[in-house]
Amino acid sequence: MGFKLAYLLSILPNLVSAAAVNIRLALAIMLLALALGTALTVVRSLKIVAVNAVIAVVISFVRGTPLLIQIFIAYYVLPAVGLDLSPEVAGVSAIAFNSMVFVSESMRGGLATIDPGQIEASTALGLPPRAIWLKVVLPQLFRRIVPVLINEATIVVKGTALLSVITVVEVLRRAQQIASTSYRPFETMIGAALVFLVINLVISLSGKVAEARFARARI
Amino acid sequence: MHFNPALLFDYWPLLLQGAWLTVQVSAFALVIGYAAGVAVAMFALMPGWLPRLAAGLYIETLRNIPFIILIFVVYYGLPFSGIRLPATVAGTLALALFVSAYYAEIVRAAILALPRGQFESARAIGMSPVQAMRHVVAPQILRALVPPSTNMTLTMMKESAVLSSITVPELTYQSLVVQGNTFAPFEVFAAVASIYWLIAIVIAEFSRRLERRVGAAQIESINRNPIAERYLSLVARRA
Repeated sequence: MGFKLAYLLSILPNLVSAAAVNIRLALAIMLLALALGTALTVVRSLKIVAVNAVIAVVISFVRGTPLLIQIFIAYYVLPAVGLDLSPEVAGVSAIAFNSMVFVSESMRGGLATIDPGQIEASTALGLPPRAIWLKVVLPQLFRRIVPVLINEATIVVKGTALLSVITVVEVLRRAQQIASTSYRPFETMIGAALVFLVINLVISLSGKVAEARFARARI
Repeated sequence: MHFNPALLFDYWPLLLQGAWLTVQVSAFALVIGYAAGVAVAMFALMPGWLPRLAAGLYIETLRNIPFIILIFVVYYGLPFSGIRLPATVAGTLALALFVSAYYAEIVRAAILALPRGQFESARAIGMSPVQAMRHVVAPQILRALVPPSTNMTLTMMKESAVLSSITVPELTYQSLVVQGNTFAPFEVFAAVASIYWLIAIVIAEFSRRLERRVGAAQIESINRNPIAERYLSLVARRA
């Protein structure tokens, strides 16, 4: 049983069509993670002791447990407390929650690099806190974390492959279905790996282009 | 919905067995992965485009495909090339392969951050490249290596949960077994998440101590270095 390149090529179109699911889910996750991560950063910056203590525990939990376990929790535990989610929604919420924490952590790092003089100046000019966040801090923060966000996007795309374990039919699940009828798991898995490789390389490369543009815009 | 941890009473040994395997698998992957990572980093730093290209391909490929797919590729690919290994061994090798790419990047970045003159001076006084790496570069990058390496080891330990998909009986696999037996997802996943959390906290604490020790050892070694000592004493005498 040798490696059959022709077979690998023949299943690629099928896998690529399944990749649309991964891309769609990854996009939804990134948007959610960015919105929630920003909100979390703003809440943390209010420095309410009790709230921040709770957030610190949640962050430690998310960073200390595997994403796979977090997906299982969303899929198996949430229905038990009355939240019956479809596999797709459960998976998206789990990964988005995980990603939100990492986005917020890197935003906190970026926040430290913003000159406090700007915030003092905005306050002196009488800008309300909402305007300081929206017009002064966040635009700079987003630019600064572009490289982190690109990296996070590739991690999220890789994370969507885990959703196969909760029956979401994405690239890996489709590959497993193909392999179970053709008995050629090796070629099939190489095909799935190639699909992810291409998606992530495209993200990294476009990220580099975006970074270069932002770097120019800053000057 | 009631939270009843007593349900798990009979299953604690199973979960702890799984946790122990998770620790073992991660430890082996750490050792094998680090060795491979250092080797790949050396390739990446070699003069000439061919080794650099090979190392770059290795690193980029492994970093851009999901670990769960890598695991299946290794699991199905090994028998394909005539090697039959138990799932646990194949899984550990896949984990080591995965993490080696990240360790390679960490080592490479740490070496590149060191002024080039260090290596060149060592070569100029007649050390071989290996000697220069061992006596001059390695002691200096040690401190820079510890924080990112422990961070990556933590990530790797968490990724080992994916080994459950090729039936390696580690913590996540056992949690699914227990969940299938008890139908108590809340209790099971609360317990398992806590165990992972605990392992993560232990690794983080260990890394903090290691960091402090390496930092301290480095300062000490500079002080104890005969050349440095002579220089320092000369300076002291002149003053």
